Amino acid sequence: MAALLAGFGCQSQPPIPALPYTCAVNADPSTPSLAGAPDDCSDIALPPEPTLPTPPTDPACTLTAQTGTTADNWIPDETNIDTMRIQTALNTCPVVRLVTDGGANNAFVSGPLTMNGVTLWIDQGVTLYESRDPNNYQANKTATSPGDCGKVGINDSSACTSFLTVMGTSPAIVGDGIIDGQGGERLIGHDYSWWQLSSALQTIDGSIGNPTMIDLKTGVTSFVMYRITLHNSAKFHVKITSTPPGGMAAGCPSPGAGFIVWGVTILTPSRWLNHDGLLMSPHFSRNTDGIDPGETSFATCGAMVNNTISTGDDHIAIKGGHGVSDIRVVHNHFGSGHGMSIGSETYGGVDGLTVCDLTIDADSRPVGEGASPGDMNGIRVKSDSSRGGTVTNVQFRNVCMRDVNNAILMSTAYNPLFSGMKIPQFSNILFQNIHDVNCINTVQPVVTLNGFSALYPATNIGLDNVVVDWTGPLAVSTEFAQLDLGPGPVNFAPYLAGPDVSVSPPNFQSPSSPAPINCTFPVLPAPVVPPGWKN
Amino acid sequence: MSACRKLSWLALGPLVAACSTTATPDLGGTCAVDDALTATCNLTPDGGAANLGLVGYGCTGAGERPDLEQAQYVDGIPQGIICADETPLPDGGVPSGPQNYCCTSARTPCAYNPVAACGAGTYGYECLDINRPESYNPDIVCGQGVPGGKYVEYCCAGISLPPGCSEFDGLGCAAGLIGWNCPTSPAGIVPKGQDLAANKSRADQYYLVCSVPTLSPSGKVNNFCCYPPAAVPPGGACVQDTTVPGCASGRFGFSCYGEETPSDDYPPMNCPDPGVPGTSAAGFPATLYCCDYE
Repeated sequence: MAALLAGFGCQSQPPIPALPYTCAVNADPSTPSLAGAPDDCSDIALPPEPTLPTPPTDPACTLTAQTGTTADNWIPDETNIDTMRIQTALNTCPVVRLVTDGGANNAFVSGPLTMNGVTLWIDQGVTLYESRDPNNYQANKTATSPGDCGKVGINDSSACTSFLTVMGTSPAIVGDGIIDGQGGERLIGHDYSWWQLSSALQTIDGSIGNPTMIDLKTGVTSFVMYRITLHNSAKFHVKITSTPPGGMAAGCPSPGAGFIVWGVTILTPSRWLNHDGLLMSPHFSRNTDGIDPGETSFATCGAMVNNTISTGDDHIAIKGGHGVSDIRVVHNHFGSGHGMSIGSETYGGVDGLTVCDLTIDADSRPVGEGASPGDMNGIRVKSDSSRGGTVTNVQFRNVCMRDVNNAILMSTAYNPLFSGMKIPQFSNILFQNIHDVNCINTVQPVVTLNGFSALYPATNIGLDNVVVDWTGPLAVSTEFAQLDLGPGPVNFAPYLAGPDVSVSPPNFQSPSSPAPINCTFPVLPAPVVPPGWKN
Repeated sequence: MSACRKLSWLALGPLVAACSTTATPDLGGTCAVDDALTATCNLTPDGGAANLGLVGYGCTGAGERPDLEQAQYVDGIPQGIICADETPLPDGGVPSGPQNYCCTSARTPCAYNPVAACGAGTYGYECLDINRPESYNPDIVCGQGVPGGKYVEYCCAGISLPPGCSEFDGLGCAAGLIGWNCPTSPAGIVPKGQDLAANKSRADQYYLVCSVPTLSPSGKVNNFCCYPPAAVPPGGACVQDTTVPGCASGRFGFSCYGEETPSDDYPPMNCPDPGVPGTSAAGFPATLYCCDYE
């Protein structure tokens, strides 16, 4: 049995051995992830790997750190924060490079920044910290009101400005350094953190107005993120709206012409205890989506390649509120989080998403006490009648998951309470070469394949070589769906029945071959688990 | 849901939930399957024929509905058919005469709720499962679901929902507040979460907290400044009340049924004056407050 599990990528068990604390030092997984065979995604055209820019020659464009943090004291001093000098450089230099002083000074601290068509390059060993002072982010400050950013109990998603606002043509954020949002650390002037603010609204699923770490504004073209590491955002890490030059009308002249996210690491939280000794966890770091293309406006012709993401909300969420098309998500690895998601906004349409060679490992980073099944999700296509639209021409190929609770969720009633006439309409969605491995999970993984109604069913939903370990009749739900099975196995096929569900071929017998795809999960950088924590 | 309505339903609930019987009053009318109407019910919006699983009913008599006849609770689980009215119904959804319906042919985990607080041409269902009534009957439209105990309550209509409120930025509301316009007729319309635009997170926050309205110069629109509050602490007993006497437009009125103050339940509220004994908008004894958003 142990050999069999090892073949699937399970580690010796139980328990999972402690993971080495390499966070913030070495963001690369020590072993490569792989879902299937190395060349299974070779038919998907990708852009060339980006490169680092030429170092700036103007000394004013290379900024040297003036303060430092250490492994024992990771809260930077904010007495003389760097907002002004970084912003000045971003206003005047095509490339702004942040470097250490060669000694102990390795940190920058800043309030909100704006970059327009320039490159921010953060060197290895350098961390750019977001200020912990909410007064630096007040979005609605007036003569009579200090604003709501940082206030407890305010369900106002626009209360704070974003940390890094990105505009213009070909902006880029690159380098082997780190941007740290300090989301779990105590705010200046308060006895709580950004994440505690967000948690206060959890019972109503409220939307906190914490700063987004990287926020692209409408009109951006050809955005690039390359090799940067992001930690502990107060809210979403990256909101992408970007198209090729010429906008939506330009189509996709070459892969990644709209935007490229390559070799980026998002690990949130980056440690299990904050500076006050309070426990943190992905579950606690609520609303910290990894990368959200389409959140603000159109996102087209994008490539997200070789990224590692573990966070407290969706790893990647394709937001179809405006229009998303031709996105390629290839060779990525996810840890804990809410999944590779589409939606819940789909009313602008999602047309053309290919996900290939994706590993999602719920075991790599414990989610902490109070975690819910949703903290360990796999593939999700979610919407509801308040925000639904067309989702079509989507492929999930070569996806390995380990111990996730929702392996595949295609739901048109993501929040059934919401009302509206924007009916989700899902069609031409292929799940191919999917393998959900069960190693230590005590919760049976669930498969949900739901259309909206008999009038608006999910159509042409393909399942080919989809194997979910430890499946069963109570773990499969489907209704209002037209399912095309085979030619490869679908081990939960006997349970695909429900209102207005059609299965083609009608008497599909799941074959024994080909075998489920091979899954190799990397060791994800993670802090040592505090004593007594459940994995 | 107004408190009196809710209380009446709570009183009725145990009677119908404790046994496997219908909650059907004798209304003196009848409903019968209408084959011609059934064919019409199963047309798609573009006029094509489809098997939507709907059955047409023609009903006579005031208050008679097919889903009322078949609503029942089995071991506390709502069951029944869901019916879309083919012509608009009066407020509360109770027909005053003959009426045609397109209904689901199979039972659903939703039961018609004869005492739901649904106004302006809508009528109510209580559902147990995650699916909205529209998933079972594509001819119906429903408002935002409101969790009530173990059920979710919906107000629905077969044609279209009446117009609600809309966001309006031009009211000069203070930072953190959102401006809203609401029709003055029928009376008592206040902004709800379901009125938020699709790009806004509605969360589960059906109720917004809103100021005492200002009547627009035209007299056709009430202007509100509102915010979506955080969760009221368990046991919180203050509810917004836009009819507190003497509470000026732009301020926030509350009725509190316990010892708590609005500041306890809604932290941004500052209530400079002590509460005054009075009667809430729902008609119950309460302590009334007039507060400011800070």
